[in-house]
Amino acid sequence: MRIRRKRVKEIDEEIATHIAMATADRIARGESPQRAHQGAVNEFGNPLLVRETTWRMWGGEWWEHVVQDLRYAWRQMQRSSSFTLTVIVTLAVGIGAAMAMFTVVERVLLNSLPYENGGHLVAVEESGRKGDFPNVRWLDIQQWRFKARSFEEIGFYTRASGRPFLEGDSGAQQVTQQFVSSNLFQALGVRPALGQGFSNSEGQTFANGSNDNSVVLSDSVWRESFGARQDILGSVVRISGQPYTVVGVMPRSFAFPFPATKPQVWTAVALKESDSTRTSQSPTYQVIARLKREVKLSTAQAEMNAIQTDVAKQYTDRYLRDLVDSVKVQSYDDSLIQPEVRRALLSLFTASGLLWFIACVNVAGLLLTRGTVRQREVALRGALGASRMRIIQQLLLEGLMLSVGGSLLGLIFAVGLLKLFSHGLAMQLNVEGAMPGGKALIALLVLTMGSAIASALWPAVTSARVSIEPVLRQSAGQSSVSRSQYQTRSFLVILQIALSLVLLVSCGLLLRTIYALRHVPLGFRTDHIVVGSMAIPSYRFAGQNINKKLYEPLLEHARGLPGVESATLMTEVPLGRTYQMAFSFAAEGNSADAVKRRDFRAQFRAVGPDAQKVFGFKMLKGRFFNDGDIAGSQPVVVVNRAFVKQFSESDDPNKIMGQNLLSLDKGKPSIVIGVLDDTRQVSPADQSAPEIEVFLPQLVPGNFLYRASEGMAMDLAIRSSRDSSSLIPELRSLIAKTTPELADTNFTTMTQVVEDAYGSQQIMSRLLTVFGVSALLLCLSGIYGLLAQLVSQRTREIGVRVALGASRDQIFRLILSQAGRMMVVGTVAGLTLAWFTSHLVSGFLYGIATHDVMTMATVAVVLATGGLAAAWIPAKRAAAINPVEALRAE
Amino acid sequence: MAKKDQYKNRIELVQGTLDMLILQTLQWGPQHGYGIVQALHTQSGEVLKVETGSLYPALHRLERQGWVRSEWKRTESNQRARYYQITAAGKKQLVSDHDRWQQVVKAIAAVMQVQTSGGE
Repeated sequence: MRIRRKRVKEIDEEIATHIAMATADRIARGESPQRAHQGAVNEFGNPLLVRETTWRMWGGEWWEHVVQDLRYAWRQMQRSSSFTLTVIVTLAVGIGAAMAMFTVVERVLLNSLPYENGGHLVAVEESGRKGDFPNVRWLDIQQWRFKARSFEEIGFYTRASGRPFLEGDSGAQQVTQQFVSSNLFQALGVRPALGQGFSNSEGQTFANGSNDNSVVLSDSVWRESFGARQDILGSVVRISGQPYTVVGVMPRSFAFPFPATKPQVWTAVALKESDSTRTSQSPTYQVIARLKREVKLSTAQAEMNAIQTDVAKQYTDRYLRDLVDSVKVQSYDDSLIQPEVRRALLSLFTASGLLWFIACVNVAGLLLTRGTVRQREVALRGALGASRMRIIQQLLLEGLMLSVGGSLLGLIFAVGLLKLFSHGLAMQLNVEGAMPGGKALIALLVLTMGSAIASALWPAVTSARVSIEPVLRQSAGQSSVSRSQYQTRSFLVILQIALSLVLLVSCGLLLRTIYALRHVPLGFRTDHIVVGSMAIPSYRFAGQNINKKLYEPLLEHARGLPGVESATLMTEVPLGRTYQMAFSFAAEGNSADAVKRRDFRAQFRAVGPDAQKVFGFKMLKGRFFNDGDIAGSQPVVVVNRAFVKQFSESDDPNKIMGQNLLSLDKGKPSIVIGVLDDTRQVSPADQSAPEIEVFLPQLVPGNFLYRASEGMAMDLAIRSSRDSSSLIPELRSLIAKTTPELADTNFTTMTQVVEDAYGSQQIMSRLLTVFGVSALLLCLSGIYGLLAQLVSQRTREIGVRVALGASRDQIFRLILSQAGRMMVVGTVAGLTLAWFTSHLVSGFLYGIATHDVMTMATVAVVLATGGLAAAWIPAKRAAAINPVEALRAE
Repeated sequence: MAKKDQYKNRIELVQGTLDMLILQTLQWGPQHGYGIVQALHTQSGEVLKVETGSLYPALHRLERQGWVRSEWKRTESNQRARYYQITAAGKKQLVSDHDRWQQVVKAIAAVMQVQTSGGE
């Protein structure tokens, strides 16, 4: 700007000099000073034009205009601050929603893996009669490795069971431990930042003995547990009591599997005898492979299918062979996202995009109105020589400034929305702490430009097209709305109504779904229960009975707290999703009966005393565990109704009572002593699965169930009349006293556990409610705005009508009918559209049909009511017009 | 886009000719805008009268291209004026402009020759 001013000043001076010199020459030739000056000026021509063209030689006039226009726009914005605010808030709603969803989608779907060329990584699974199995036996992997030509490297890994604790320099921390093949990091294309990692000696790239006691630490473990000590290599660290030698530290960004939920460590797979078998007892691994650069996924898939035909033949057990007769190769990236989450995210993203579009349409309507108000101004500029392009540019820049404002506010909205829903996003969509980052800011830029164009282009072109003369001839403040413009604006309102309906219908369907889910009988009480999910540091209790050492004293102390009615333990509370155990029969053979037994899967739970008191489980038959069931007494189990149904193919609990289903110890068969009524176990939407329960006090060290049931994870459940917020801190300090590792125990309430178990429907219904209500409000403000403008511009006409004898009622109805017409058209269009778009959410519905007429009708009624309410005020105002004043106010 | 139509040189000098003439005038020493107009007028036998609306944009264009540079100085009559001076790059440009112009003149002359002789 300063450069421009200086240059213009110089040019002006140059021009003045020129004229002065010419004048001097003319005087010298004998002209009178006055005539000389006049002559010189005339000869010179138009100084302004000279200045303008000369200055233009320096370029940048375009920028100059932009700056001019921006200043002008800024003044306009300040002058009509309420209009500016309305537009900015409207845009911010749309942009905020779209931004928030983009951030989430980007986090989940567009995230690039922290590996070299992550796109070449594939997950290889076996599949067969019962679907895909990610868990593959070592012998099969070995075959793939020898025969497949599509891969550069095939690595495998499996998660260490339970809850491993790593003892650091200052206390133990819970980690995720993966057993990995020694070539896994090579397959991922990432080298340790420190140390060599696992050795790949003797050309044997599979797991081997030389790495058995080596560990590679993640950067976060290295920092948190060892203070980023440089001399960590070669030192011995203990994981769950086992000593390992540190051979490497991975780079900071590295995580495997991705993303990390807990600090990670990797130890080498130690192959055992059982690894060279193909039985149901053989250990299994997940397989990740790197495609050769030029090999396509489909090629690898075809090759693997051919190989697998041979591999499957080597299974002697036909039952197992049928489970692995083909192979599925899929991009590793894709394998990380559950299809349901992907669909939920895309639906929400679409919804937010729709809301954004509605906001833009709304603002376009506002800008069109404003265009009518500013007709004179634009016409005047046109009359003074502004080109049509220049006017469009200027109006577009105004739109851009407004959308920049909208974006800034929208960013705040987006952050707020993400904060508000962070718990739901984390629980239901696995999106932890998403905040707008680099890519999101680029998206914001695109949104800003997009909003400006979508909302301001049309109004700008319309305004610029206005013919100058008739507008200038009109008296001030009496700009009229042409019929076509009114039609344009009502079209915009109808568009908003239709699109809002689409959002509202999906929102309605999900709300009905959530309502239905909330009314599913869960089969247990959820009130007044506090739940603590403990990761058990079982290495501390090696050689001792953890029941006596930890659980019994813990329960006793918990019961001693004021207000606590009962307390119990179980491997996992219903709907807990913390530590799921499965039960299957150890059956052999391929007879129809054996296959049925082998296919049988049940949920397994070890429960403590008083579980029934805490949760109020109902018994259909027999009894629950009681104090008489102790370590030495007859082992007993309890099953649920679904178990009976599937096991004995009848509803009669008597068929299973007293049966022997599993043995805690050799020669000590347990018997069924009771049948529980069904409960929801994983999700309120899922029917009950068969379940079998054992009693914690009956499990002692030596039982094969002991380690898995008692030494890994345990949920503490407390029924108390007290408020959870006061009880939880007391429980936390109590539990931390037992053993320091338990200080990290995650406490929540059973109500919250249930809430979190509603799944993606929960977060979808909430976000869609936010989007839908916003859309509804925008839409109503659109109706209101249009009618208010209509009334104020037709004041005279209405005055005349009243003067000629129209009743107030007639006027009132006239205005309402305008609104009515728009709403009818919009609703019909919207419901038609919603009929098709509701398929997008059909996968998430529970207890309701995709084309639920009730929902659609309700939504239409809500919209109609709102619309009439919005039209009411302008209609009232129109009816109140005083004809005398209206006609006088010329 | 707008630039082209902004100002039409009313003497309709062949594109680039004005630049050449200005550079040629500046060969004899620094000169201000008014001086250049006068010089061209005299030297052309009072035929060429350069419009200020062409001259000043041309001068500034030449300065932007680095073919002339300018400074404010006092004239003999103690008038402050902006003097333009040809640069080394400007001299090179003048030579090439001159060559090209001569070629054009020759070419046009050749065409006109053919036409006149053909007419006889």
